[in-house]
Amino acid sequence: MDMKEQAEVMTPPKMELSLTINGANYELQVPPTKRLVTILREELNFTGTKISCEVGRCGACAVQMNNQLVNSCLVMAYQANHASIITIEGLSGEELDPIQRVFLEEGGFQCGYCTPGMMMAVHALLATNQAPSEEQIQEALSGNLCRCTGYGGIIRAVQKAISNNNQK
Amino acid sequence: MPIQTSSLDKKKKIRPDGPGKVTGELKYLTDLSFPGMLYGKILRSTEPHAEIQSISTELAKQLPGVRAIVTYEDVPGLNGFGLIFPDQPVLCEDRVRYVGDAIAAVAADTIEIADEALQLIQVVYKKLPVIIEPEKALHPNAPKLHPDGNLLHRAHYSKGDVEKGFELCTHIVEGTYELPRQMHAYMETEGGVIVPEVDGNLTVYVGTQHGFKDRYQLARILNMNESDIRIVSSPMGGSFGGKDELNVQPYGALLALATNCPVKIHNTRRESVRAGLKRHPMKITMKTGVDDTGNIISHKVKIVADTGAYATLGPAVLDFAVEHAPGPYIIPNIEIEGVSVFTNNGVAGEFRGFGGNQVTFALEGQMDRLAERLQMDPIEFREKNLRQVNSPGPLGQKVAPTSGAKDVLEAIKQKLTNITNENDSLEKWKVTGTGVAISIHGGGLGAGRMDPAGGRLSFTSEGKIEVAFGFEECGQGLLAVIETLIMEEFHCMEDDIHIVIGDTDSVPVSGSSTASRATSMVWNSIQRMKDTFRSKILERATKVTGLPVEDLCMGPNGIWFKDDNLCITFVELAEKTLHEPFIKVETSFDFPTSPDAVVDGSHFLYAFSSVLAKVEVDLLTGKIKVLTLDQAIAAGPVVSLLGYQGQIEGGGIMALGYSLMEEAKMENGHYVNDNFDTYLIPTIQDVPFVMNVEAIEKLQDGDIYGPRGVGEIGTIAVAPAIVKAIHDATGCWISKLPVSREVLLEHLSSRGEKRWI
Ligand code: FES
Ligand code: FES
Repeated sequence: MDMKEQAEVMTPPKMELSLTINGANYELQVPPTKRLVTILREELNFTGTKISCEVGRCGACAVQMNNQLVNSCLVMAYQANHASIITIEGLSGEELDPIQRVFLEEGGFQCGYCTPGMMMAVHALLATNQAPSEEQIQEALSGNLCRCTGYGGIIRAVQKAISNNNQK
Repeated sequence: MPIQTSSLDKKKKIRPDGPGKVTGELKYLTDLSFPGMLYGKILRSTEPHAEIQSISTELAKQLPGVRAIVTYEDVPGLNGFGLIFPDQPVLCEDRVRYVGDAIAAVAADTIEIADEALQLIQVVYKKLPVIIEPEKALHPNAPKLHPDGNLLHRAHYSKGDVEKGFELCTHIVEGTYELPRQMHAYMETEGGVIVPEVDGNLTVYVGTQHGFKDRYQLARILNMNESDIRIVSSPMGGSFGGKDELNVQPYGALLALATNCPVKIHNTRRESVRAGLKRHPMKITMKTGVDDTGNIISHKVKIVADTGAYATLGPAVLDFAVEHAPGPYIIPNIEIEGVSVFTNNGVAGEFRGFGGNQVTFALEGQMDRLAERLQMDPIEFREKNLRQVNSPGPLGQKVAPTSGAKDVLEAIKQKLTNITNENDSLEKWKVTGTGVAISIHGGGLGAGRMDPAGGRLSFTSEGKIEVAFGFEECGQGLLAVIETLIMEEFHCMEDDIHIVIGDTDSVPVSGSSTASRATSMVWNSIQRMKDTFRSKILERATKVTGLPVEDLCMGPNGIWFKDDNLCITFVELAEKTLHEPFIKVETSFDFPTSPDAVVDGSHFLYAFSSVLAKVEVDLLTGKIKVLTLDQAIAAGPVVSLLGYQGQIEGGGIMALGYSLMEEAKMENGHYVNDNFDTYLIPTIQDVPFVMNVEAIEKLQDGDIYGPRGVGEIGTIAVAPAIVKAIHDATGCWISKLPVSREVLLEHLSSRGEKRWI
């Protein structure tokens, strides 16, 4: 294979990708196998979504796709076509989301690198279950690694979010 | 001093970098991009030990989109780096010594092209024998990995006469403890962007724990003036010691200079595992003897550390392990001998705990085994031998008086009375047990090491109190510490403060953000600057308002008259005094060291911890679940409550991983696990749902050193407490980490331990 062919291998045919991110529409040309995390971070500068293992084991890249929590390092462009994506940047409006507030108040993070993915996971949990048990919290967040907190602050934040919910 | 009477609620503040982190708005250095930016990749050795016979980049250079390839020929200055001595080649010329050794680096238009170019670089190796065991490396016939041989460092300490001492002992326990290579596993892998500036200067946006040190090392490599290099070093997505040494910076810099374009390098996890530092694997043999009443008489220690291919901070880590081998105990006869040895394994270097984790595991293991021999309660046995307020340090040096050791042991004793060994589980094949361990941990770099600190306070033309330190925010909560201390000192508001850190162009020299020193040095700096700064501000306010200076004080948003009336805001004060000379107060000093230390690196300030662990062991599968992990910490006053708690809990869980699951295994010089699918770190399902941290804030009367840092202390005594709890549950003594289920099961079956039948 000469160099030109080699270069072609690396610039595979592109597809027309259309998707909604945090309510806004995007159309772009990308190779169908390009990963969603790369599209978000490199093409569209949504750098709130992080990258750490790229094999679906850490949750740093977690986003919501069509109301499902997914690891965006495992989603390819063609799978995301016409999807609606919510990233950490879309979690709050003018005001902080209640989950963001409890993470701040209870120390649910230190370096903060796992935090966007972690909050997307907490959000997904509380959206379907207003009062999860200890086991349900652990189960729902078991795909999100945090190396800094030992999860203590995260657990306290989630518990506070639950009790705030109950008081409403 | 307001922080000594801490009202904890007030300290539970939202950290200044918090909102940016929870909204995803904060840009980490690996999130940055610049116009015209290229992507860099580094070619690392495929061989753990080989001669390089040739390197050919011709083919790769022809690949469209490749913009530069650099090899050893392109290093303008010193082709080497290392925090103590620069023995690691930036780019290898004729030999590789581990699989992380770099041979070439590529800058290209896209990551894919850069990756492809790496495949096209041809390196011809001639394999050399691979040395994977330190013991073998020390053999006189072993191939030499470095000109001076394979011994990186030897450290020694002795007092009294251990052999005579053993003759007086009624019980002697001898054991060998093996500790694994642990990965830092910061969630953000190494990376950032290196930008060539129009004036020929270079800006390096890459996380590190000591910006000035990176600048020094890079200047040496690039043959540039230090003043022409700017290091922007935070925020970081975790470091834990692992990003203190240079990582991708030299490659990014060489490529940026070669292409005159910004170059981004962000390691994948695999690249990070392969090239990055790890915790030193150690084999520690201890022989410890007691008399019949339980006084420790003699303690003999031998430490063998596998430092991997290059030095980095290996010598200092070994010194630290040697220093902490006697722990917080008073022992008349001691002999400690440590060696740190080069091998073709991954490079081991700085890691939270710095050699203390390994040696404390061994020491506390000895204490529990001795207590068993003596048929004495392990806590009582520790109490009997514990250091007192005015005892010298572990190596006999003068240290700041402290009751920390006694206090943490007392606190954990209280907790122990509240916990039962009752098996809460109905499943009969599950047993539970509890264990306690304690630790001592020095702060700062230690005696005989350059350890400057300092800071700067100024009043800006915008009316902000600007506080500047040459420290980095790795996640530990430094910004919250600085903000809290300034607010407490000057009674001002968050909005009145502007914090500057992590940028060599605008911060003073403060030393490294390592060795649990930053919080301590921030506090000490502020103590040195506060009175001068305050009186300068108040004098200026007097000039403007005409009010008597003794009636003025600093407060929320400005200067207050008689405590109850805001008479001029900081902003007004700045506006009205624009023509006046800038108010700026600086300080520089050295981290306090022991006046009579004879061993390099030994410490003057110590923190202490105690851990209570309760575990459940499944006798069928050998699975261990940690049900309780409570710690008591004596490290002086708490500055930032959430930060403190997070450091201790987070450190505790990192050590839980070290105890039960983490090992960066190597086979014949190659990493076996290269990502989180095989290198497992604790998830939320592996941790106790509730952890308790007790902060003992007390300092001795007259102690002028303030809060000690807590970045490391929470990791130290966890492993021995967990292992003791396993022993309590099963009768099995473990001396190798991570605890192997197989070993445990084998032990249980050999003892006929089938309690559930
Ligand atoms: S980066 Fe996607 S799960 Fe780790
Ligand atoms: S806060 Fe650092 S990884 Fe979770």
